[in-house]
Amino acid sequence: MHSRVKTFALLAVACVTPTLYGQFDFTMAGRKVQIHSFGSQGFAYSDENNFLSMKTSSGSFSMTDFGANVSSQLTDKFRVGAQIYDRNVGKLGNWEPQLDWAVADYRFKDWFGIRGGKVKTSLGLYNDTQDLTFLYPWALMPQSVYPVDSRGDTIAHIGADLYGNISLKNAGSLAYTAYGGQRPSDKGSGMVYGLQTSSLVNGNFIVAIGKKIDSYGGPVYGADLRWTTPLKGLLVGASYAHLDVDTHGSYLSNKLPYLLTSQDKTIASYVQYTLGNFNFAGEYRKENRFNYFNTASGAAASNSQNARLGFVSASYRISKRLEVGSYHSRIVPNWLANHGDPKNHIFDQAITTRIDLTNYLDFKIEGHFMDGADIDSTMSRGFFAASNPGGIKPQMKMLVLRLGFHM
Amino acid sequence: MKHLRSVLVAAVACLAAAAVVRAADTKVIANESVTASSISAEELKGVFLATKSVLSDGSHVEPVLQKGGATHEAFLKDYLGKTDAALSTYYRSLVFTGKASMPKTVGSDAEVAAYVAKTKGAIGYVSAGAATSGVKTMDVK
Repeated sequence: MHSRVKTFALLAVACVTPTLYGQFDFTMAGRKVQIHSFGSQGFAYSDENNFLSMKTSSGSFSMTDFGANVSSQLTDKFRVGAQIYDRNVGKLGNWEPQLDWAVADYRFKDWFGIRGGKVKTSLGLYNDTQDLTFLYPWALMPQSVYPVDSRGDTIAHIGADLYGNISLKNAGSLAYTAYGGQRPSDKGSGMVYGLQTSSLVNGNFIVAIGKKIDSYGGPVYGADLRWTTPLKGLLVGASYAHLDVDTHGSYLSNKLPYLLTSQDKTIASYVQYTLGNFNFAGEYRKENRFNYFNTASGAAASNSQNARLGFVSASYRISKRLEVGSYHSRIVPNWLANHGDPKNHIFDQAITTRIDLTNYLDFKIEGHFMDGADIDSTMSRGFFAASNPGGIKPQMKMLVLRLGFHM
Repeated sequence: MKHLRSVLVAAVACLAAAAVVRAADTKVIANESVTASSISAEELKGVFLATKSVLSDGSHVEPVLQKGGATHEAFLKDYLGKTDAALSTYYRSLVFTGKASMPKTVGSDAEVAAYVAKTKGAIGYVSAGAATSGVKTMDVK
């Protein structure tokens, strides 16, 4: 009931948005202050399986998010700002508001600046903007690379970025970001939900063995390099991220302490090309993860994943109010195993239509044709054993509708 | 073959002329506090994409955009290589990740000129024939 009230409140805000001005600016103590916000309400219906912990097989509106930020340019070189983010997607997020980012940013030179605080992590094309679906034609970002359930794993770090933009004259320009810090605990994430509701036993996730997760987080560092090439509209880039994660908790059945230590290394390469109203993008990642944990009997165990994931997408803006697009997204969690095994891949073909109802309100209609259903609570991609007690079907189709606003 | 070559040369000449005419449709103006009298196309692009806030002469600059119209479209196409929708998306991606503020946007040549005249470091664009008293016109190299 509580969730429904919030959902309807958000819908009401979305409906009155067209009457509001696009952003809210004012001056305080002689400084310009800007306030912006965004939000969305989704609906998902699938012919098989329950996706992202929602009851999509019977149609689910449990897909809501909202964010708001305030920022100010205090001097020519110094900016501050912060954003809150709140979401409820099935069993994820649970309406727990998060400080999405809060940064103090000092740009010494155009080629060198430092931003510190809780900072959005630069990784691949869209990691730092994956929640901002109003920027894209898609109702769901390519879930192999930007999974809704695991967004908290990489979305931000508490630490600092060194960044800058270097002119290469006739060769374009190069933007770099190097970062380090602590990954904040996201107890509403898919990984935590997966760990709470199931446990790995002999290669299978058993729902009967659940856990209480107390904390989840660890250090992260990495870098991103993106080259705006001299060819108009072409951007290419590469990223590296290293994450160490310690998860502490206890088994529900016998109260035995649970410790999961994970090391994750990701290399991403990406390309984006814009030609008039056409937009093409692609990203390829190699992700290695090593997990060390103790079982419910106290025995030490480990597993590893050597994943390959990526997507290619194309979209075309037909008019100011209409855009169409498609992407193919895929993940193979264990590259050395049989790729044809439906438990070892998810291939997702999506087609979408975006209608911009106003400059600040958009509506998306999207179809997904998914093959394969990896169930893995440490590299989850929307399929959870606990949400699918009758088992996972290897193929499914899904309709996603999403109404969003930004201002 | 000769005929084909002539047609190609004429076509290239026409395209080049069209590009010159488009670029000539707009002029770049700046507040009197900006000491530079010229700006490179690369610098101009950097300023309007929020990757550059200081010109080569050390002047701090702040971009001012128009909300729409022919001058705006011509400027975006000639100097930024983006459509209006793509530029909006670009700025929003910065604003909602804490990496920049939304730039000042006004509705007409007159409003751009007035804002630039009164705002230290402001740099904007107007149609070539617009009246621009109290500001300096910059050469784009």
